[in-house]
Amino acid sequence: MSDAVAVGPAYRSSRRRLAFLFAALVIAVLPLLLTSGYWRTNLTLCAINVLLAIGLDFILGYAGQLNLGQSAFYGLGAYVSTLLITKFGVHFWAAFAAGVAFAGLAGMILSLFAVRLRGHYLAIASLGFAVIVHQILLNWISLTQGPLGIYGIPPPPAIAIPGLPPIEFSNQVALFYLVSAFALLAYLLLDQLVRSPIGEALTAVREDEISAQSLGINANAWKVFAFGVGAAVGGAAGCFYATFVGTLVPDAFFITESFTILAMVIVGGMGTLIGPVFGAILLTLLPELLRDIGDLRLVVYGLALTLVVLFMPGGLVQGWELLRRKFAGARVAGGR
Amino acid sequence: MPHLSWHDCRVDIFVVTVGLGDKIAEEWEPLRKQRFILAVSALSLIATVAFSDANAQDKTIKIGALFPMSGPGAYFGAQDKQGVELALEQVNKEGVNGYKFTIQYEDSACAPLPASQAAKRLLDQYKPDVIIGEECSDATLAIMPIIAQAKVPLLNAGSSSIKITEPGNPYTFRILPDEVMQGVDLATQAYNKLNARTAVLLYENTNSGIGNAKVFKDTFEKLGGKIIADIGFGRDVNDFTAIATRVAGAGKADVIPTYTLEGQGLKITQALAQAGVTKGGGGSAIQLGTIWLPFGFEQKAGKAAEGYVRIVQFDPTDTRPVVKNFISAFKAKFNADPTHLNAHAYDQIMLIADAVKRGAKDAQSMRDTLAATKDFQGVTGSVEFNKHNQNIKMDTIHYMRTEPDLSWTALKWN
Repeated sequence: MSDAVAVGPAYRSSRRRLAFLFAALVIAVLPLLLTSGYWRTNLTLCAINVLLAIGLDFILGYAGQLNLGQSAFYGLGAYVSTLLITKFGVHFWAAFAAGVAFAGLAGMILSLFAVRLRGHYLAIASLGFAVIVHQILLNWISLTQGPLGIYGIPPPPAIAIPGLPPIEFSNQVALFYLVSAFALLAYLLLDQLVRSPIGEALTAVREDEISAQSLGINANAWKVFAFGVGAAVGGAAGCFYATFVGTLVPDAFFITESFTILAMVIVGGMGTLIGPVFGAILLTLLPELLRDIGDLRLVVYGLALTLVVLFMPGGLVQGWELLRRKFAGARVAGGR
Repeated sequence: MPHLSWHDCRVDIFVVTVGLGDKIAEEWEPLRKQRFILAVSALSLIATVAFSDANAQDKTIKIGALFPMSGPGAYFGAQDKQGVELALEQVNKEGVNGYKFTIQYEDSACAPLPASQAAKRLLDQYKPDVIIGEECSDATLAIMPIIAQAKVPLLNAGSSSIKITEPGNPYTFRILPDEVMQGVDLATQAYNKLNARTAVLLYENTNSGIGNAKVFKDTFEKLGGKIIADIGFGRDVNDFTAIATRVAGAGKADVIPTYTLEGQGLKITQALAQAGVTKGGGGSAIQLGTIWLPFGFEQKAGKAAEGYVRIVQFDPTDTRPVVKNFISAFKAKFNADPTHLNAHAYDQIMLIADAVKRGAKDAQSMRDTLAATKDFQGVTGSVEFNKHNQNIKMDTIHYMRTEPDLSWTALKWN
């Protein structure tokens, strides 16, 4: 088979399918390998953070919009779904859909107001939005309980499959499968979007908004669209967060959370969907893996992040590419 | 009898285990039996030592500690650790009922998610017999169900939210007086001992701040007092001039119950004095506080703190021997005066040691023994748990008044 055929669209598509199958297999096997409750909850947290990171990457990496308000969408998803469940007795999945829709709508509204802003200005506006949402969650005590917090949030209701025992989401493994299935679905959806003409339009807006508009691309509409989709994915992460931790306090969605999510995207590799997935996993697991070194834990964590950004500005994806090329080069040299 | 070295024994073991040729075996014949017996004896000795080592390891009480060691609450963890280290040093000198105590710290960061993760890690990997911590109510409330599910007792000494023990759960114990105990007592003492009839409430908008203020308000109003202003504020407020002006304009307040951490507390006390509201600024109002402010607050606040009446968790003027010994041991080890955080952490370990003395040897017996605690004498006061595992001893509530020279006078109201 010639090289030209090997890298053709059909080959790439089948390789992607294989990669998704492999990811599904890894998701299926991981909780069976990691049997401790601690590591299983870390896995669920990884899946939640993957949702947050790919949501932000869609806005930042593909549409080029410097959004520092992802913590707000995360919080809105969490609070809207939880309040609907606990105050109004809405079914979990209806509340989940409402949380996702509300976060997406909030993203679109923010984008509509901030559509003329770019770069640092947009960053400040989105950060301001995150501050406002945090203050609302904190001070609207009659609705959100504010700093008093909401406790004892139940897991999603069990799913009954005829002929099989019901799937209880109080079980950590079942909850991990649920959240990671959603993360995989969101990844598939975003992957399809970025590979479609929509992705090309977004990239065109990111690279040069004026040129894109001269080609008939409505830059503002696509920016609003990107914000809506990315915020909705962040909202989904929030819905899962509430049911996963069982406790909601506004400080969980303080603006610093936005920077953590941003770090996941940058460390992973902005503008690639796979990069932020690994960025999210790394930044979730690293502080946990470093617990054994005690007080130096966060120092080493910070140092690791600094080193990644210094030596691999393209993130883990860039690191992987460098390694791949090096070994490919070595193989070629060895072949000679 | 020939002299036998360890080397000979090792050779003998080798002979027995691997086997040698007949010739060599014959040469060794005269000594074989004797050496074999010695080798078996040596192995038995090693096995006995190993077994007794295993027994000694079994006689260990594993304590898990969930303290905030990063983020804004890190100062809690640093001081908690000092109190724990001093107590462990003392109890491990001779052990208790043959038990030694080991500890593993985890950074729970004063927030629900990291605290939950840290609790799960402790339970899965360290498998403690008892856990101490957290400091912040939000974090404690998040870890309570996780630890209870693992049937391990949690001994708390830093979170005041009433929800921790009302309803609480069978595995969560608190030696700190809860917000209701403090609030009811503070309001009652203010009404009866200070003859206060009007009050302004100042509190941070947190779980504890709101809860504490509400209890004071309910009790004070029931007694016949009047709340003339009710002012909550965020932890991000840095300038309290506007709030002090508002307090000054609210009318004559006899007392001003204030619920904040030290940083904001200092600014509030100084702003109220500058506005001429409190005794420290020439006014007549008495600022009231609960256990939030550490020892040394007055020195930082200066003249503005004059007349401040507050509950302290640890009374360094207490003359009980247990307190005197604690203070001198702490000074000797850390070359500093102990704070209430040091004292509470010390009490937590000492109470666990006391439970072991009374027969606790694993998580379940630790829970049962802690629940049966009666009149344990700690440095912060005594301990006896009610059916919700809340310490009901009122001698943990120490009232202090700040004098013009910034010293304390113990009011001995409890």
